[in-house]
Amino acid sequence: MKVKLPLFICLIMGIMGMIAYYVPHKIVQNFDNEWRNTALRIIFAFSLVLGVGSIIRHHLEKIKRKREFWEYSYVTLISLFLTAFIGLFGGIDGKGLIKMQIGNFNFDIQTIYVNMAIPLGATMFSLLAYFMASAAFRAFRARNFEAVLLLVAAFIVMLASVPPIARLIPKLSYISEWILDVPNTAAKRGMLFGITLGVLSTSLKILLGIERGWLGGK
Amino acid sequence: MASRRYIYLILTIVIIIPILRPFKLKPLPMKPVKNLFDYIDKIPKDKALLISVDYTPDTEAELQPMTIALLRHAFSKRIKVGILTLTLLGLGLAEDALQVVLKEFNEKAKTKEDSIVYGRDYVFLGWQTPPLVPLLGMGESITKVFPVDYYGNRTDTLPLLKEIKNYRDVGIVVSISGSAIPMWYVTYAQTTFGVKVGAGFTAVSAADYYPYLNSGQLTGLLAGMRGGAEYEELVEENFKIRGRRKATEAMSAQTTAHITIILLIILGNFIYFYKKKK
Amino acid sequence: MSPDIWVWIAALLTLGIFSFLYKDNPFYRFCEHLFVGITNGYAITFYWHRIIVPSLINPLSKGEKLYLLIFAFIGALYFTRFIPRLSWLVRIPIAFVIGYGAGAAIPRTIEASIIEQAKATILQRSNFTNIFTGISSIIIFFGVIATIIYFFFSTERKGVLKHLAYSGIIFIMLGFGASFGYTVMARISLLIGRLTFLLRDWLGIIK
Repeated sequence: MKVKLPLFICLIMGIMGMIAYYVPHKIVQNFDNEWRNTALRIIFAFSLVLGVGSIIRHHLEKIKRKREFWEYSYVTLISLFLTAFIGLFGGIDGKGLIKMQIGNFNFDIQTIYVNMAIPLGATMFSLLAYFMASAAFRAFRARNFEAVLLLVAAFIVMLASVPPIARLIPKLSYISEWILDVPNTAAKRGMLFGITLGVLSTSLKILLGIERGWLGGK
Repeated sequence: MASRRYIYLILTIVIIIPILRPFKLKPLPMKPVKNLFDYIDKIPKDKALLISVDYTPDTEAELQPMTIALLRHAFSKRIKVGILTLTLLGLGLAEDALQVVLKEFNEKAKTKEDSIVYGRDYVFLGWQTPPLVPLLGMGESITKVFPVDYYGNRTDTLPLLKEIKNYRDVGIVVSISGSAIPMWYVTYAQTTFGVKVGAGFTAVSAADYYPYLNSGQLTGLLAGMRGGAEYEELVEENFKIRGRRKATEAMSAQTTAHITIILLIILGNFIYFYKKKK
Repeated sequence: MSPDIWVWIAALLTLGIFSFLYKDNPFYRFCEHLFVGITNGYAITFYWHRIIVPSLINPLSKGEKLYLLIFAFIGALYFTRFIPRLSWLVRIPIAFVIGYGAGAAIPRTIEASIIEQAKATILQRSNFTNIFTGISSIIIFFGVIATIIYFFFSTERKGVLKHLAYSGIIFIMLGFGASFGYTVMARISLLIGRLTFLLRDWLGIIK
């Protein structure tokens, strides 16, 4: 029951999802649309519980057991609850049940997002530029013909990506476009066939109950 | 450790100097960008452009200029625009881009007819989850998928959505994303409803989607900051819009940084082979 | 310098993350943990206001669509994840979502990523409208087959297969080279964005 019921539901839902593609009849299409717009939306919305609940549990555990850097878990938990409070009670525009404004100072959810979440997220990923430059200097070696080919293609694409060089040597832009349009397309398409067949076989195995990793433990 | 920090310092300097002293540039628009521009330019009056802002703050610098350029294009030609996101974190970014472009247009407008008016010229549908809901649901009814818009208005009261009901009334969907979301539009929306799809990708993933461009499943493709700069160039060339061109401004620093990375790779290889020879 | 307090907050958080380049430090850790908290709080806000309220609370409060309670109950089973005795019940809502998602994806993925891509690879008369597109189409056709053969490890590579597999590597190296070139552009773009923010919006050094 603990295993058979979820597997049965998975199979039925899978068949439902597939039938809607092959049967254009209005009854099937209307049912499919209604199912997605009501049931699926509501069930999926509750999945946030898993993500947020796991984060809260993880950090509470860290604080309880005083694991490494446990003090920072307070930062996560306080900022999570504070942001949620501001959003839930202030509304999307800050003019909900509680006005998120003191004088001219706004602290609604959108302001917090633009001035805190965006800079934090963007800067974290911008660090990669430094790591990539360092890796390019220390690890990128033209040890054989294939590596030289990779480097030459990379250099052409990098140089052609910037306007001064693209305007100075228009042929470089066309060569770069050709590399992207022809050999790159061929290689990526070959890989795409393999990856897609792998994904399709995994999806079928999930529907048929052969792949049971998503069930978790006992 | 020490050599790593020198490399960080060199990279910072070669980027900061051109930001402080940029050189004049004119991006050279390539075929994938031109194809997208031309298609959007020719959208019939009774059809809309749907912009799906599917990126997150970490890729904002690369992709936000694309969204802004597309909005400038659409508003200049008075193409009806619907904006939505399939990623929650794209909401704030979409709102940000809209406010930038609306300010540019409405500050210059003299009458209500000239202005860009919410509900008449554009709607911000917001976000829905799971992605399958809007991807497939918009084939039947946009207002059923988005009963309220981002601002909390009932979508069935908005004039634009009385004309634009589903994908049949959409000229093209342009999804701008740091992941494979444009492919979801191709896989779900295009195979089921035949809607045209264009895409803006971060440069990291752009090369992987050229097969879809080659097969015609993508009408056009904007790749990274270069793609954004090329689209900005086409919009300014055709409509003489003088808004801030973030992607083009970044190209000076991009040029020096690219040359620096190439020199670092060559230097690294030179030192390696020299040591090997010894 | 900007007089806006929020720009200062954004700038300080930016510098906090950049401080990691020197070494891991408390300021960086604080910013990292703050990011996780804010984005989750943001998610809770929108899930509530834009999904739960319009799709569930509003119709139920008007006495309409009472059958939605069934789906709300199924969704509420996600909470059982945190009750050890009942944690197996979380598989039920997951089964609904994964099952429907996989079912909807399979036929459409076959259409978009296999059939359409195969159609684009096969050589047709329309590919040869001019000599350049004709040659490019032949190269793509050859390249796709060579790449697929390169990843076929179930048989010994000898004779024609060996040469085809090697050709596959050539195409893959060119493809990865193009991807690397674009990756450099991507990473640098993000850094330019942050440095521009610090110099323009915060310090006001550039207009």
